[in-house]
Amino acid sequence: MRRSTAAAVGTLFGAALIVGVRLSVSTPVVTAAPTDVDLAGSGTSADPTPSKSGSKKEATKKPSAAATDDAGEAGGGTGLTDGTFKGKGVVNPYGTVQVSIKIADGKITVAEATYPTTGNSATINPGAVLKLKAETLEAQSADIDAVSGATFTSKSYKESLQAALDAAGA
Amino acid sequence: MGTVVSIDLADRLPDDKLTKLVEDTCAWLHEVDARFSTFKDDSEVCRFRRGELTLAECSPDMRHVLDACADLWRDTDGYFDANAAGPLDPSGYVKGWSVEVASARLAAAGSVNHCVNAGGDIRMRGTNAEGSPWRVGIRHPWQADKLSWVLALSDGAVATSGSYERGDHVINPRTGKPASGLRSVTVVGPDLALADAYATAALAMGESGITWLAKLGPQGYESAVVTDDGRAFSSAGLPAAV
Repeated sequence: MRRSTAAAVGTLFGAALIVGVRLSVSTPVVTAAPTDVDLAGSGTSADPTPSKSGSKKEATKKPSAAATDDAGEAGGGTGLTDGTFKGKGVVNPYGTVQVSIKIADGKITVAEATYPTTGNSATINPGAVLKLKAETLEAQSADIDAVSGATFTSKSYKESLQAALDAAGA
Repeated sequence: MGTVVSIDLADRLPDDKLTKLVEDTCAWLHEVDARFSTFKDDSEVCRFRRGELTLAECSPDMRHVLDACADLWRDTDGYFDANAAGPLDPSGYVKGWSVEVASARLAAAGSVNHCVNAGGDIRMRGTNAEGSPWRVGIRHPWQADKLSWVLALSDGAVATSGSYERGDHVINPRTGKPASGLRSVTVVGPDLALADAYATAALAMGESGITWLAKLGPQGYESAVVTDDGRAFSSAGLPAAV
């Protein structure tokens, strides 16, 4: 018995590792946003909004400049063409991830990625940010068929609303 | 299992048929208790614990339970742990699973409108006696005679774990210490065994369980939570009664 339990734990750690790998599939794509600028410049972009002719050399040269650029420098000096660029959609086993960046005054102002939001993908990809909404705790009485609660023992059952319901229906 | 099960059959069937269905359900639940109780020395769980049974010699039900506990351990980041208290104790899964099976058997035997409540964990199908969806109240975590939410659902499960009945008895398996932060966690979804395990896991997580529960929405599991300091949270898809 002891041996089989250990084997099961080993399998579980293996499975946990796989999930970790899956998570990291999408992350590098986000950090690779500057690379997608190059892709846009070299004509593989799915949707280059502004004209890209003549900007290829500068675009491939400048991402590093953009990264070190600070607010003190002249905004237009990076040579990046203003507009919104979408990277080529990258297909991973969970769907298509597409990165887009927005350039204004020669700087990357927005970099974002779209993730699949259906099925398993939504739970694996970080794109889906789900939250429970805060509300006011109520204390109400209502006509009900059953009560859900942490009634654990037969003693606490006797004191519960469910016991009252059962007595009423008997 | 040390708990009380309420069985509500709302089908228009002859009395002797309904009585037979209730008797069969009770027989199944007692059978589960005999086979899976950690308090009965001759139960399958205790024999497996002592090494008197190998995994291959276990019943298909036992192997299903062990598989499910392993899956849940992974899916809850280790917060649902059948070994949290030391030796194997799959009770946290078995209770919900036994009611899930009881409900499926009732449906197969002709009762398509019923509600089975095992110590606050409920599996229902169809409608109540009035032909409406079942109305399930979630117990208020401080006032035993009040409700914090009222749900309406036809097919599905509602499970609640709370620190208010067992004190701080729910252990955070990561630290080995009593869980704190959440007073009551309710999970609603298609499978009672999973809903119950998810609620227990979230309670063990403490406040971070609120974020974790939100991720279950796409899998069909909605939730309602009350924190130790009285804040309430619910997921967008919670089937609240109108």
